Amino acid sequence: MSHQLPAILFLLPLFAAISMPVVCLKHRHWCQPISVAILAAMVPVSILNLHNVIHHGEVRYVFSGWAVPLGIEWVADGLASIILVLLSVLGLLGMVFSGPTSPKDLGGRIVHYYTLILLLISAMTGIVFSGDLFNLFVFLEVAAISSYALIGVAGGRALFAAFRYLILGTLGASLYLLGVSYLYAVTGTLNMADLVDKLPFLLSSKAVVGGLLFMFIGLGIKMALVPFHSWLPEAYANAPESISPILASLVTKVALLAWIRIVYWVFNASILINDIPILLLVEVAGALAAVIGASLALAQRNIKMIFAYGGISHIGIILIGISQGNPTGFVGGVFYLLNDSVMQAGLFFLAGVAFCQYGVRTIDDLGRIGKQAPWFTGSLIVMALGMIGLPPTGGFFGKWHIILGALEAGNYVSVAAVLLSTLLTLAYFARLFENIFRQTSTRSDAQSGEIPLSFKLALGVTSAAIMILGLFSSPITQLLLSHALPPAL
Amino acid sequence: MVDAFYAVFQRTNFLTFVIIFLWGFYIMVTRYNLVKKLIGMYLVQTSVIFFLVSISAKKGATVPVLLSTTDPVQAANYANPLPHVLTLTAIVVGVATTGVGLALCAAIYRKYGSLDEQEVLERLE
Repeated sequence: MSHQLPAILFLLPLFAAISMPVVCLKHRHWCQPISVAILAAMVPVSILNLHNVIHHGEVRYVFSGWAVPLGIEWVADGLASIILVLLSVLGLLGMVFSGPTSPKDLGGRIVHYYTLILLLISAMTGIVFSGDLFNLFVFLEVAAISSYALIGVAGGRALFAAFRYLILGTLGASLYLLGVSYLYAVTGTLNMADLVDKLPFLLSSKAVVGGLLFMFIGLGIKMALVPFHSWLPEAYANAPESISPILASLVTKVALLAWIRIVYWVFNASILINDIPILLLVEVAGALAAVIGASLALAQRNIKMIFAYGGISHIGIILIGISQGNPTGFVGGVFYLLNDSVMQAGLFFLAGVAFCQYGVRTIDDLGRIGKQAPWFTGSLIVMALGMIGLPPTGGFFGKWHIILGALEAGNYVSVAAVLLSTLLTLAYFARLFENIFRQTSTRSDAQSGEIPLSFKLALGVTSAAIMILGLFSSPITQLLLSHALPPAL
Repeated sequence: MVDAFYAVFQRTNFLTFVIIFLWGFYIMVTRYNLVKKLIGMYLVQTSVIFFLVSISAKKGATVPVLLSTTDPVQAANYANPLPHVLTLTAIVVGVATTGVGLALCAAIYRKYGSLDEQEVLERLE
């Protein structure tokens, strides 16, 4: 039974998504409770799967018994299982949060809305587990198509943002597929484990190098790496309040995870492009993203735009961590990925609460929230500590390991990039707080009142998780060191 | 130099792929009409699919159904079926993406009364 857990984790949201239009046809108000129940069931299963992987080693799941390399294989190793726990917990919180915030004017289409969210979650499960390059492409596209539709639900500006995302995202997917077909043309296989055996003799081949570069650009568009990030802020800022936490915390991170898998598990990070190691290219891209994303965040006035650009800069910091080529940096990067997902979810919960509860969209209006909102201000302070990276939050320990790894590798430029982006993060949070505590606006917030339980739950759990990740950072990094390291490190 | 050109023109499938891909990309970048952008996107997808199919072709090979069950299998006699299967999936993905794209276009048209990117952007401000 226990070796079936990866498939169960994928099938739970998938079957729920397929049966949703039938089950909830007459009872629209069942959609959200059923989705919450499915995600709540995923959480213990994913923890069980992690426990199983830690104690009995990785699970290789072969669909319908077709052995590798003919069949499609899923790999539930330490890294995938840890990310999956994160995915199911954040998905559950997102579903709880989406109850009071889901778009009101959808009518009967609310059923399809929840179908799409569940489809998105099952596709992300597929991306995390997939051990096959083409299978990964299909899940990337299922996740992407669900996100385009979910963003477009908000109407107005969101339609246009979703269209831009669709055009760029499809270009990224096509480039990724092109890279996969290059590798297939050279090696004749799509299975990652099989590629590991065949690639070492072909690393000097131009087709392999070209394929890797196309995959990098394709996944770079999907993870909003800096030159290709232009779709993300508009899309996430205009997406419905209830879906943007799930999108911002998971979709880009999962694409990043796919890239980690390809570069470390398939290529062993050993490939040279004109005598330049691929890791150096990734590091430079990451450093640029970290600094440029944070500086663009400084120029924004819309709260969600600030957080979206903050997320772009954190993608860069994660890339800096994983590209150091030593275990410390890699573990720091993955640990920061966990933290960043939680923080992005928390920040977009905050933005959602700010709009739905207090009607605030820009930082100029933040003064209206003022001191009457302990939940809002309290969790904003915790998120800010995490984003800036002050102890005892998880953000601090993630950056700490990344900087240690960079020092170990002698990459002082990446140390400087991490520190600079930290300073810029401090600057844009200082602007937020200045506007909150400035009591210039005398308008009373009569419409506010007590915030719903689901908002308290979403904000409380993410804030607590940021603290817990910090306080238990040493066992978590130990776990990552012993179970999530790629074979090359 | 001449050899390089000669080598390129020997591989007409690669050449066709590059032309269709760049053509689609050019349309995507330069046209302001949203439906034209979608057409460019579809061309890009199709070019990659074309490339994937073309690498499976072999001279003198037939469909991948065994000619004889007793003789040992000669891989050179059969075309590689896998890229075609992958292509089917990629086409389905492409159709789904185009469907969502057209739905978004229709919604934009209903809301702003135009499909021109610049006009829509003006009305957004």
